Amino acid sequence: MNLWVVLPVLAVMALLRLLKVGLLTWVLVWWGALYIGMRYGLAAPAPQSVITLYMSIVTLSLAAYVGSSRERTEGVLGPMIRLMSEKRYTPLLVAIALLIPGLAGYNAYLAAGLREEPPYFSRTVHPAPPPQITVGEREVDLIRSVNPYRELEESDPQAFEEHARAGREVYYENCFYCHGDALGGDGMFAHGLDPLPSDFTDAGVLPNFQESFFFWRVAKGGPGLPAEGGPWDSAMPRWEQFLDEDEMWDVLIFLYDFTDRTPREVGEFVNE
Amino acid sequence: MNRHLTAMALLVLMGTGAATAGTLDLGSDAQREAGRVLYDKYCAQCHGDTGDGKGIAADRLNPRPRDFTSGKYKIRSTSSGNLPTTRDLMDIIRKGLPYTSMPPWPQLSETELTELAYYLKAFAPAFADPDFLSEPLDLPEPPPFTEESAQRGSQVYTEIGCGLCHGELARGDGRSAPTLTDDWGDSIRVADLTKRWTFRGGPRRKDIFRAFTTALNGTPMPSYAESMSVEKRWELTDYVWSLSPGDDPAYDNVLRAKKISRQIDLQDLDGLFDAAEQAYFPVIGQIMEPGREFHPSATGVKVRAVYNEIDLAVELRWNDMRAETSGSNGPDLEVPRFEDDPERGASAGTARVEGSDDEDDFWGDEEESSGEDDFWAEEEEVSDEDDFWGDEEAEADGAPSGPETEFSDAVAIQFPSQVLSGNRKPYFIFGDGKSPVDIWFMDLARQRPEMFVGRGSSALESQGMGELSAVASFDRGQWTVVYTRPLRDGGVIFEEGSFLPMAFSLWDGFNRERGNKRGLTRWVSLFLEPGGKKSVTGPVVKVVLLTLLVEFLIIGLVRRRYRGGVQGAVPASRA
Ligand code: HEC
Ligand code: HEC
Ligand code: HEC
Repeated sequence: MNLWVVLPVLAVMALLRLLKVGLLTWVLVWWGALYIGMRYGLAAPAPQSVITLYMSIVTLSLAAYVGSSRERTEGVLGPMIRLMSEKRYTPLLVAIALLIPGLAGYNAYLAAGLREEPPYFSRTVHPAPPPQITVGEREVDLIRSVNPYRELEESDPQAFEEHARAGREVYYENCFYCHGDALGGDGMFAHGLDPLPSDFTDAGVLPNFQESFFFWRVAKGGPGLPAEGGPWDSAMPRWEQFLDEDEMWDVLIFLYDFTDRTPREVGEFVNE
Repeated sequence: MNRHLTAMALLVLMGTGAATAGTLDLGSDAQREAGRVLYDKYCAQCHGDTGDGKGIAADRLNPRPRDFTSGKYKIRSTSSGNLPTTRDLMDIIRKGLPYTSMPPWPQLSETELTELAYYLKAFAPAFADPDFLSEPLDLPEPPPFTEESAQRGSQVYTEIGCGLCHGELARGDGRSAPTLTDDWGDSIRVADLTKRWTFRGGPRRKDIFRAFTTALNGTPMPSYAESMSVEKRWELTDYVWSLSPGDDPAYDNVLRAKKISRQIDLQDLDGLFDAAEQAYFPVIGQIMEPGREFHPSATGVKVRAVYNEIDLAVELRWNDMRAETSGSNGPDLEVPRFEDDPERGASAGTARVEGSDDEDDFWGDEEESSGEDDFWAEEEEVSDEDDFWGDEEAEADGAPSGPETEFSDAVAIQFPSQVLSGNRKPYFIFGDGKSPVDIWFMDLARQRPEMFVGRGSSALESQGMGELSAVASFDRGQWTVVYTRPLRDGGVIFEEGSFLPMAFSLWDGFNRERGNKRGLTRWVSLFLEPGGKKSVTGPVVKVVLLTLLVEFLIIGLVRRRYRGGVQGAVPASRA
């Protein structure tokens, strides 16, 4: 988030609150503030198509808010109607009537100079997994399966350590090129990829899902994603081609162990 | 292991109050212990539990993880052949070595970096020996860059003979480049001086100056501190610095093809692409499908494109140490399974150089000797430039010319065979069963393009040449390949004003790349920019008139409806 943009906007809104301005001003201010926040307030700039979509939703919601009671409708329409029909406002009306086409024209001028960008694809990062998959000869039930070695953490810590160590080996022979040495998603090949490799240190990834979800992702990789996940672009390999099932469960033990996280329990509510 | 213990024992000795201990910066037991904990979590997987560079990941890496017991560090502020300072170690750990698997560690605090540096020092006994104490050189601040200085630097470059290793145009293609090995006997790539973002020590002018002032220990890259004045070294710095477009590669996402009116003819390429804009795409190793390439030779490919009413022409350029034009290549060649299995060896350093026995023996000695005096004596010998150059010249003369290789260099462009609906694309590695790709392959030894249809890496089908034609040339370290095809004939259709996914593959025969073992790019976009000047006034006038019209309508309607003012129609609001 870009605080140099967000904080001034919030300050202006607080000031307007103190000035007790009318509903029409509020509607315009909210629209403007959300646009500025979306356009300039984000650390990573959002594509134009996303901004357009977002702003049309904002426009609709504001319209719905205004239209939801007679009083609000009048609060917004009243001043507009007076502006357009009362003589004393004529100079202001003329000024506004010229300003709007001016701005629209300027916007069109800027747009004409912009280069065309490739169509934007907003991929679903964590699509729903299939209920079961086949790995090798075996069917794995993704809804109920747990990591067969997870229970060792309690029952036999030494054996558990052994699996974490084996998983570490799998990781540093295969995964760090993309997912990075410290699991930050910034491996030596990451700069050549889009979508970027997942960052396992992100609190929104490992703890949010059952381990069987990641087992699916590791076994079937990018090509195993449904269409909304963009399987054609994801460089995540299908590890069933290289690793056996044990190695895949082991590497998951390592991922959680290295980042000090625990997987979501089977049946636990997923608030995605 | 043994070495490690000796080092630790020595450190303990030094730590307990020898008179010189104050100047030897080795840290406290507690610091080294904290360093060990960090090292075991973050570094041992590559550099090995005992610092010998033989971690889990090591066999698939090139350059290999550093063996810290050798005490040889590339990026230092100390003179050639000397040990780095604690500060040097901290700096290089934090910044990492770009375009190697040694990552930057910006997340480590100053304290943690110090602890790690002390722990690394403990691996090499020499750090604990006052005889080998090294002072940082007084590296000057850079004078302002000037074109004249860069021009003079270009002459220095030729006179000194940097080109022997780095190539006439500094593209990493010098005559002796293919024969170079590092101190551990592994083949080493000469730096491509036209890509300063890949420099291990950083892209800034002071980094470049440091590179040939302090040399890169453990590599053939020599020091010129003795043989060249500071002034000349800055000229050389300016020359090297001027060869790259920037500190960052500025990778692109879109290739914009310009519409031209002239005919597209492969016999007459002069100036064909002058109007076109260049796009630069990152190349990484194919490690998604079996037959993996963990360290491809190429790091990027420059592409330009033009089209007219009939044809599309695409030009690809990339730097290569040497053109492999003997042997053959193909996108469907089998790569034996064991080649990417470190357990069975034969992965890293695929291009081990024959006849580097001398060096092997030399450093073999070093490995055996545990006495520090020996260690240092040998080190001194290496940093002696005269000897070094003597060797180098002899080697270069004997360098084989036009070597026979089993695999030739090759290149391919890939497009979807059909335009798919929505945002769908075929799988970016040679397509998939449902959506095939067209692969415009060219074996650079044969100079004839061949079209393949790909339905996955293991399902490629040759279609012959079809309507495709291409020419290739190699000039001083750079391949240039130009493809042409009619816009609407022989596969995917190119449409003015539309985006089309495209991807690239590069094979370096020197690195034994073939089939799935190659460098590749992700899907990027080709855009055929509509011809003719885009008018600005048209759309602007249209928008202005349209908004004015809508305004008049609204105002007119409102005025008619509420002629007598708002009263009566809408009750006055709060305002
Ligand atoms: C060639 C690069 C590459 C390699 C090697 C690689 N991955 Fe990935 N991985 C990706 C990319 C890119 C993504 C994000 C796109 C996606 O979700 O498919 C990803 C996603 C994942 C995810 C899904 C995370 C999530 O948020 O849903 C898991 C789990 C994963 N990788 C584990 C691994 C493991 C374990 C290995 C090694 C055995 C590995 N990856 C090796 C590129 C790679
Ligand atoms: C994924 C593997 C990997 C990991 C993890 C890794 N390194 Fe490295 N490191 C390398 C490689 C490969 C090189 C050699 C690069 C070269 O020679 O160009 C290297 C080189 C170095 C060097 C030598 C720099 C010089 O100037 O020559 C230092 C110091 C170093 N690593 C420290 C560390 C420390 C400390 C850590 C842990 C915080 C670490 N490395 C983690 C792969 C790794
Ligand atoms: C004997 C061969 C040889 C000669 C002669 C040589 N270099 Fe190098 N140079 C190398 C090698 C090999 C590397 C790559 C080292 C590495 O990657 O660790 C290198 C790397 C470099 C780098 C990159 C440093 C970095 O931070 O990665 C620069 C800059 C450079 N050389 C400049 C020069 C200049 C200028 C000259 C002439 C004055 C020169 N070299 C002469 C072999 C040579």
